[in-house]
Amino acid sequence: MIGDLSNSGSMPVLADLMRFTARRQTVIAHNIANLDTPGFLQTDASPEKFQEALREAVEKRRNATGGERGELPAFETDEVRRLADGSIRLMPGTPSGNILYHDRNNRDLERLMQDLSENGLMYRVSADLMRRQTDLLRSAIAQRP
Amino acid sequence: MFGALDISVSGMVAQRTRLTAISANIANRSSYEADGLPYRARQVMLAPGDPAATTASGRALGVHVSEIEVSQAGFGYNWSPDDPKAIKSGPYAGYVAQSNVDPFVEQMNAMQATRAYEANVTAAEATKAMVTQALRLLA
Repeated sequence: MIGDLSNSGSMPVLADLMRFTARRQTVIAHNIANLDTPGFLQTDASPEKFQEALREAVEKRRNATGGERGELPAFETDEVRRLADGSIRLMPGTPSGNILYHDRNNRDLERLMQDLSENGLMYRVSADLMRRQTDLLRSAIAQRP
Repeated sequence: MFGALDISVSGMVAQRTRLTAISANIANRSSYEADGLPYRARQVMLAPGDPAATTASGRALGVHVSEIEVSQAGFGYNWSPDDPKAIKSGPYAGYVAQSNVDPFVEQMNAMQATRAYEANVTAAEATKAMVTQALRLLA
């Protein structure tokens, strides 16, 4: 009953997005920390693939409950695993984008910084939308706008 | 999320260690070791993973100093037969051996380490901003 408050609408989707970006932040920090570690290959989990899987999960929920209510089903791609309890685990791959330098590291600082700020923005957007939702709930409970 | 902070801090620690080694190298460019040979450059080796981190994700990720190696690059030789450190016999008789620290290489490494340190600080700032966002959900 009370669980429906946090399970309806876009709340679980936003929560998943926040969990994913928080996990991806550790991956990006790992890449930055190893900027000049010899033999280190940059790792990443693609946000596009995650959002695609998330979209399918929302679609599945809609087909199952006929509306926008209820838990999101667990899903798994080759880089992300979402368990039924909502926790998200990343298995970052090593996308072979950039050239290898002489120390066998394929660092790409500019791309890394872009990922960092995009990831932070994504987190910010989902946190802001989430707060909007809780504010709505709060004003409904207080019975005033 | 605090794992991400751990990782960035491990990066800062590693880069600071590098900078320490670089300053030691530059400071000791004309020093001699206890065995009478010139100072050999110290080089910091980095490897992924951070055994000193407090969280599990911090231990798996991050970076640490795996070892500090003594450079085996050849010494430089200066012709100076009156120097008390001059080599007495052999093909280098009359020459004075000089440290294998290359100031240009050290300067380049120092710049690289400083920029890498800054990148880690930027990542830590971004993580802190995210934590602040999450905390604002409660308020």
